[in-house]
Amino acid sequence: MQLYLVAAYAIAWLGLFLYLTVVALRIRGVKTELLAVEELVREQQAKQQQTQEK
Amino acid sequence: MALANKETTNVVQRRGTLAARKARLPLVSLVLGGLAFVAIMTAIPMAFLYAQTDVVQGPAQRIFYFHVPIASVGMFAFVVMAFTSIMYLWKRDERWDWAARASAEIGTVFITLTLITGSIWGRTTWGTWWSWDPKLTASLVLWFMYISYLMVRSYMGRTSASANAGAVIAIIGVFDVPIIYEAVNLWRGLHPAAQVGVPGALPSDVVLTLMVALAGFALLYSFLMLQLYQFQKLQTFAQRLRATVEYDM
Repeated sequence: MQLYLVAAYAIAWLGLFLYLTVVALRIRGVKTELLAVEELVREQQAKQQQTQEK
Repeated sequence: MALANKETTNVVQRRGTLAARKARLPLVSLVLGGLAFVAIMTAIPMAFLYAQTDVVQGPAQRIFYFHVPIASVGMFAFVVMAFTSIMYLWKRDERWDWAARASAEIGTVFITLTLITGSIWGRTTWGTWWSWDPKLTASLVLWFMYISYLMVRSYMGRTSASANAGAVIAIIGVFDVPIIYEAVNLWRGLHPAAQVGVPGALPSDVVLTLMVALAGFALLYSFLMLQLYQFQKLQTFAQRLRATVEYDM
């Protein structure tokens, strides 16, 4: 009886913490991606400006 | 035409960079996360130390303080998903779709944990891991609905056709929620009937513990909704921004 109770709580909390970790990592990943693309945009805008000046 | 494309590109790029700057955890999210943590950390000792042991079921009945709140929030998440999907079909605003996707993901996790904890409880009480009881079967159908929604959305990508298909699944699937809720009253089955709200059915300490746990998981759902909504938003902006860069190259 006690073993089943411990198993239920352990699985449930492990599952929830795992999910929270995955969510945090995914948010961090998309933020990094957005910053990288932002850098690409900046580079592209600088290139365009140089072309227009020439 | 070229000018119009250029203007669109500039707007997307401005929005994308703005979203990247605004991507910090908002105050409301921190408050919800903190409150969820406090409520759940209060509910755990209450479940083990404060609430009395059930005379018939023994300690295994304490699974109830996790199982019932996550099942309730898991079903509520589907109702939110259906509502936001209807709003998306009506208003054609992608923000409603972001909310639907966020709710679907959280609901899937909650219903999965509901089925696992319910199965463990069933093993101790009924002597079997699974029974084709009406409530259990309807809950399994809801889980399949969630999975099919996520599979369709993942397979079809971030398109309006994908949002439309997802909305249809959400609207059809929401009819399963009242079936789950009323299954114990409509058909004879193994699953216990709802005891909350029935005078004298449950001791006050059991009801109080259940309410604290329910509040904790409802707050956790709200906190996760904000996080995943933000995630959907950032992912959309990142994809669009990348597309504009590729378009210009």
